Amino acid sequence: MNSVIQINQLSKTYRGTETVSNVNMNINKGEIYGFLGPNGAGKTTIMKMILNLVKPSLGEIIVFDQRILETSYEYLKKIGSIIEYPEFYERLTAKENLDLHCEYIGYHHPGAVNEVLEIVGLKGVEKKKIHEFSLGMKQRLGIARAIVTKPEILILDEPINGLDPIGIKDIRELLLILKEKYGITILISSHIVSEIESIADTIGIINHGRLLKEVKMEEIRKENEEYLEIQVDNLEKTTHVLKNKLGIKKYEIVGRHIIRIFEHENSSSQINKELILNGVVVNGIEKQQHNLEEYFLKLINGGNQHA
Amino acid sequence: MLKIIKLEWKKNRLTSYFKGLAICIVGIFVAVALMSLGSQKGNDPMFPNYEEFMSLTNILIRIVFIIFSSVILSRIVIDEYKSNTIQVLFTYPLQRKKIIQSKLSIVFGFCFFSIIISTLIINISVFFLNPIMGFFEAPVSISEIITTVPTTFINAFMIAGVSLIPLYFGMRKKSTATTITSAVLIGFLINATVSNGGSSTSLFQFIGVPIVFCLLGLVIGYLSYHKIDKIDVA
Repeated sequence: MNSVIQINQLSKTYRGTETVSNVNMNINKGEIYGFLGPNGAGKTTIMKMILNLVKPSLGEIIVFDQRILETSYEYLKKIGSIIEYPEFYERLTAKENLDLHCEYIGYHHPGAVNEVLEIVGLKGVEKKKIHEFSLGMKQRLGIARAIVTKPEILILDEPINGLDPIGIKDIRELLLILKEKYGITILISSHIVSEIESIADTIGIINHGRLLKEVKMEEIRKENEEYLEIQVDNLEKTTHVLKNKLGIKKYEIVGRHIIRIFEHENSSSQINKELILNGVVVNGIEKQQHNLEEYFLKLINGGNQHA
Repeated sequence: MLKIIKLEWKKNRLTSYFKGLAICIVGIFVAVALMSLGSQKGNDPMFPNYEEFMSLTNILIRIVFIIFSSVILSRIVIDEYKSNTIQVLFTYPLQRKKIIQSKLSIVFGFCFFSIIISTLIINISVFFLNPIMGFFEAPVSISEIITTVPTTFINAFMIAGVSLIPLYFGMRKKSTATTITSAVLIGFLINATVSNGGSSTSLFQFIGVPIVFCLLGLVIGYLSYHKIDKIDVA
């Protein structure tokens, strides 16, 4: 695989506390890498280290086969980014901010600014000064700024914060287009699983500065098998029926009235029928899949126990 | 680096400061001229000659432009840190040292040239207006004015160095108010005149003092970027 960003044994210590500890990551060309972790897990610090804003205490970062040194800056030309809160020059207008950005990067392409404002839905307010912008508008403009120079890598730190549901959907679609049409590699962080679950190819889960797992979405989907969730009035009776009448052994009781079945030999209608015939009141029966949210919580809690 | 200076210029709309510069020049000239004209009514003229007239003018010029430069300093350096746009600036493919150097050169250059320009304009005005309005009795000759040129340049350079000192105070808390307040204090400290009636003296007249302050300013400027590649931009 051709990796675009490679991180080896990266650690960062701030005043004696290790905020990032021995992280290894591999981001491949053209993929969307979702970076998941609760607030304060070290996501932003790692992203800042990739951008050379924060200097690693130990370890190395390799971007486009080049090791990042303290004095490196040329490679930044190929990276678009939003880190934390999108900052702009408040006294300038949206368009002036983007024009300035292009000039700093050295990207001269007439029409690019207008085009990108159109894409993020800020057409019509480009002459407004930034201090009149709402957080959502700034966030959109931040994304516009990150992509206007057509970078090869996008680093987006919680880009969906402050956006309305339509905005979130727009951005998700935009990221997919950028990936598919332009082959841009995207590193996107979030503390909300559902935000990136649907678009990421690889997910890195981080907590307390440690990368707990780096896994392909496909594998997660495979790992998280389907199950049947049944709501009943009497659990004892139900387990009896399941074990003795249907021969089901793989089940799990998750609530006072909820039971999950992980075997697929019997169809839901069969199970339903058998339970009713044996006098169990079935209030609901539903096929479900563990979602990433649970998977993620499980991993983080597991991580806590080890720590 | 020229390109960065140009972009800084554009970003902060520094051209608009020329208006301020013009107002300062007119203000200083009018203030000193009025003092001169006003004091003549009471038979005790403030300035017997060109030299005395310019000594007050120069003090005002120095104080005004130390403060003015600190306003620009806070606008292009301190504000950038305060509003965290420095983070954006440092994600550009530019050498960080160059970025800070450019910003400081703007402040230094602004202070230097403002002092030269205002001294020049006021000198010209004095030369032409004195015969008409009579700011002081002794007539002033061109050669007298020309002999002050080298000192003007040296002083302008030294004050430009001094104008970087507020950077140290301003950066500690990333505060515009601190930057400008420290500039006011420094401006008055090194230009304030102590008088015992007959003779007067100010710190600026001991050549060692402005040199030390100027060097201090330059060192502060240098320290602000010499380790910039090792520092985290949090």
